Amino acid sequence: MMTLERPLTKNIKPNTPPMGLHAYQAAGGYEAVRQTLGRVAPADLVEMVIQSGLGGRGGGGFSAGRKWQLMPDPKADPGPRYLVINADEMEPGTFKDRLLLEGDPHQMIEGIILSAYAIQADISYIFVRGEYGTAITRLESAIGAARDAGLLGRNILGSSYDLEIHVHGGAGRYICGEETALLNSLEGRRAVPRAKPPFPQISGLWGRPTVVNNVETICNIPHIVLRGVDWYKSLGLDGESGTKIYGVSGRVKSPGTFELPMGTTLNDLIEHAGGMREGYQLRAVLPGGASTAFLLDDQLDIPLSFAGVAKAGSRLGTGTAIILDDRTCPVGMLHNLQHFFAQESCGWCAPCRDGLPWVERILAKIESGQGEMSDLALLDDIAGTLGPGRTFCALAPGAMASLVSGLTYFRAEFEQHIHTKSCGWT
Amino acid sequence: MAKVTVDGIELEVPNGSTILQAAELAGKEIPRFCYHERLSIAGNCRMCLVEVEKIPKPVASCAQPISEGMVIKTDSDMVRKSRRSVMEFLLINHPLDCPICDQGGECYLQDEAVGYGSDHTRYHENKRAVNEKDFGPLVKTVMTRCIHCTRCIRFLSEVAGVPELGATSRGEEMEVGTYVQRALSSELSANIIDLCPVGALTSKPYAFTARTWELRKTDSIDVLDAVGCSIRIDAKGPDVLRILPRINDAVNEEWLGDKSRFALDGLKRRRLDRPWVRQNGRLVEASWEQAFAAIAQRMHNVAGERIGAIAGNLCDAESMIALKDLMASLGSGNLDCRQDEAALDSTRRAFYLFNTTIEGIEEADACLFIGVDPRREAPVLNARIRKRWLAGKFPVGIIGPSLDITYDATHLGDGPSAITALQNGDHEFAGALEAAAKPMIILGQGALARPDGAAILAAVWALGAKYGVMNADWNGFNLLHVAASRVGALDMGFLPASGAKNLAGMMQGGVDILWLLGADEFDMSRITADQFVIYQGHHGDAGAARADVILPGAAYTEKNGTYVNTEGRAQWGARAVMPPGQAREDWRIIRAFSELIGHALPYDDLPAVRARLAAANPIFGEIGQVRRLAGIDLTGPTGEGAFDAAPFRPAVSNYYQTDPISRASPTMAKCVAAHASPLASAAE
Ligand SMILES: Cc1cc2nc3c(=O)[nH]c(=O)nc-3n(C[C@H](O)[C@H](O)[C@H](O)COP(=O)(O)O)c2cc1C
Ligand code: SF4
Ligand code: SF4
Ligand code: FES
Repeated sequence: MMTLERPLTKNIKPNTPPMGLHAYQAAGGYEAVRQTLGRVAPADLVEMVIQSGLGGRGGGGFSAGRKWQLMPDPKADPGPRYLVINADEMEPGTFKDRLLLEGDPHQMIEGIILSAYAIQADISYIFVRGEYGTAITRLESAIGAARDAGLLGRNILGSSYDLEIHVHGGAGRYICGEETALLNSLEGRRAVPRAKPPFPQISGLWGRPTVVNNVETICNIPHIVLRGVDWYKSLGLDGESGTKIYGVSGRVKSPGTFELPMGTTLNDLIEHAGGMREGYQLRAVLPGGASTAFLLDDQLDIPLSFAGVAKAGSRLGTGTAIILDDRTCPVGMLHNLQHFFAQESCGWCAPCRDGLPWVERILAKIESGQGEMSDLALLDDIAGTLGPGRTFCALAPGAMASLVSGLTYFRAEFEQHIHTKSCGWT
Repeated sequence: MAKVTVDGIELEVPNGSTILQAAELAGKEIPRFCYHERLSIAGNCRMCLVEVEKIPKPVASCAQPISEGMVIKTDSDMVRKSRRSVMEFLLINHPLDCPICDQGGECYLQDEAVGYGSDHTRYHENKRAVNEKDFGPLVKTVMTRCIHCTRCIRFLSEVAGVPELGATSRGEEMEVGTYVQRALSSELSANIIDLCPVGALTSKPYAFTARTWELRKTDSIDVLDAVGCSIRIDAKGPDVLRILPRINDAVNEEWLGDKSRFALDGLKRRRLDRPWVRQNGRLVEASWEQAFAAIAQRMHNVAGERIGAIAGNLCDAESMIALKDLMASLGSGNLDCRQDEAALDSTRRAFYLFNTTIEGIEEADACLFIGVDPRREAPVLNARIRKRWLAGKFPVGIIGPSLDITYDATHLGDGPSAITALQNGDHEFAGALEAAAKPMIILGQGALARPDGAAILAAVWALGAKYGVMNADWNGFNLLHVAASRVGALDMGFLPASGAKNLAGMMQGGVDILWLLGADEFDMSRITADQFVIYQGHHGDAGAARADVILPGAAYTEKNGTYVNTEGRAQWGARAVMPPGQAREDWRIIRAFSELIGHALPYDDLPAVRARLAAANPIFGEIGQVRRLAGIDLTGPTGEGAFDAAPFRPAVSNYYQTDPISRASPTMAKCVAAHASPLASAAE
């Protein structure tokens, strides 16, 4: 069997500090930058990324290259342009970006240089989840080393291209991961989402053209540039491109992150995580973090690609699966998730601000054995009024994904709580 | 234009319209809480959701631009259900305390709850309670009622330019407040009371006074500055209980300054409600007959040129023309309306008007202030300039004290030398003026009410001529007045006749008899002891204290009067209540006196006085209109002499107390206590 290629994590060794500049360069690092700056036209780079089929890894899967293409021509609109890296990663069960930031900060920087060059941005911000202290220090020291080596700053490698990277630590709000709330937060404003349109590419950070991309999305770029579109496309299964950093949490033997071909099946992913722990059965899976709908144990053969999971009625999201086993109370799990979403609602729009805490309170009541049958109908109803379009941003609809599917799949458990007036799980 | 279909009605709407605007054009009312046409779009209440064919999700109609061929449904099952759910969410945490809420009867939440609310609640958990906030003397808060629409936050940061409100905490715990507790300091702060769709922000002075359906509503005009904002006076019995702005896009859009809204408690205090006559040095109560007799007796055998009249800042044109006619019949041309002795040139209207007009501000592309504090002299007009500034590419310069006017400005200097420098092109702002196609200059009364005022006026006109401020299709030369009566007085010539005395000439014994029509704003000690003073007005202020005879007149809420605003727009104020006690409408007092002394004025009803006004100057007949003058005649006002080096002092330093009404107002006194005057604190 062919050994799997793991371009994104090849430099990362568990429990070892990341490669310094020299080791990174010795392993072929910054070669893509040398070959590109001043040699490849930015528009050609954008075209290459479109051809590669790279979809955004922040959860939506939207083509990275097409997103870049929406940036206005700098000649038509001169002035600062920004590339913002979304490293907020507060989605429950998600820890893939942390691995990339802590494990190989130079890969992040190289990806930023190439991507910023492609969209002709001269300033880049990395918005890092505040708790990721190690990632922040490692990024800052790598940026320092890269600047000293002439890879950042003015006239990079004599190409007359200038770029500065700034690291910004977040203050602990899930909503800061939503790209426009992130921009507000970076500007020092209250972290609430902005209306779209205008999209950030037209009016983003401080009203200037801006691209916001996820950490993992950008970490793919050096490899696409260096090894080409055909190679990159060959990495995926089932017509998909590249690799994906999947994650597994829950009662599996070895939970963690795994770089696997895009389109790997859920079954295979769980196998990589060592399968279920002794005495636990898999009941259902949230395939891509807390904002995705449950898949049941008879859906484990679906490919974990944006299209594949969508076909099965859920979303690939961040690709980090949360596993519900047979010894965990699904009502308790849903209550726990809704507690998170209610707490993280930014408060901007009425349905989410007032609806999510209501949902949470009903779930708490049912879980503690004080629910009534009418509460289930009420939950169905409220969930319907927090769907896409009902709220200002995707937080509340995301929160409803697990609830709506959970209400369907675990109806019996809900009713049992209500009839027995207690939670049967311990 | 784009073609859209709203509930089966096909229509053409301007490109760039939102779905909500298109629906309005189709006659479909879309309920909304957060949307307000004069604020940025928030899209946070979700009450305005509609269904659009080919879009799978419901769409926030306030935020979504239309596109060609859109088919919109504003009344489908889905839309109705969605509105009901938003109402349910909003009411979850709402205290439902309508019976004790001042918004009751004019609450948008209450109105919509009738259409989309439910008669029972499905929410049985604890409601959220929010700690009370103190926003100062004007705005009362019951923040538990807040539905977080952010209109108040957006108004203060966008329109008022004093971003003092914001939100703290997230989710359900989100609260609207000042962060660090303090009184709101914007002169426009109380507009958030009107904007708040619920009873979270209500009027503190008006708290629990009356229910809206008990009030008698009269459309009128504000007179506490020279902008002439459209107002509605709400009265119950003999009392004015509330003053609110009316929409008038040409003047105040829908805003009103805090003083104009809340000085009304001054209408009940220190009122002159009967005539008084001074006997043996003391003022004693008198009848109208006794008061008139005392004046007639004193006038006996006094030559016309020994009699003079001064008109105050709040006077209606009717009373001024009557007084002017009376003086003429007595042979006196000693008249003045300039209590501040500002060097105004009335030979051409262009010399004393705000020629650009308030709406015209939005066309301008540069602005220079000279000796004026627009924020405190005319807060609503200043909001219009700020609106223009927000639209971008609008350099602003200031000559005078460098004050916070709520938007960025370049400070060119404190006094007249900066005018000279600019005239010589010695300042970078000259470039901004030169580059502008429609530059404005706004000259304040503070720059004219000084010994070199005439020279300043002439120099500023010359500056305008140099920089193309006046041209064939644009007149950017503007005087900003602070007295509501001033332009009307200039338009009718309430000024010294040729060879007659002005205010200074009438002081220090310059005349024997002085008729003060609501004049309180000059130093009364300049009147000598042997001068006989008639004070006609409504408040026991400076003028009444010096008077020998007091004739009790009517405040602006108690009479039908014409006022011409700083743009030259004649408007009618209307009587909402009767004057107190024996006080009377002012022109009628003068008319009655004229008859007594055998010089009966030739008009004795309102249409006849107004016909007299229109005969004096046709603009008094053009109610609500403004004649926008081109600036092609560049001949300037004739003012000569050297400049005085002294820095300019704006006409208003204490916004809250500028006239007898606001000085009598306890609410205005509380505002002064809550915010030390910015000038006073700057001087400390
Ligand atoms: C509530 C919410 C939280 C989000 N959190 C993150 C996050 O932590 N990291 C991230 O990359 N994208 C997050 N997103 C998605 C971003 O808005 C955005 O789509 C993404 O950063 C785009 O990057 P990509 O195109 O590279 O995927 C979040 C979206 C929502 C609605
Ligand atoms: S859906 Fe929730 S998180 Fe998103 S804007 Fe509304 S309140 Fe904020
Ligand atoms: S106080 Fe009133 S205006 Fe302000 S956010 Fe709350 S409901 Fe809206
Ligand atoms: S009016 Fe459209 S969301 Fe509030």
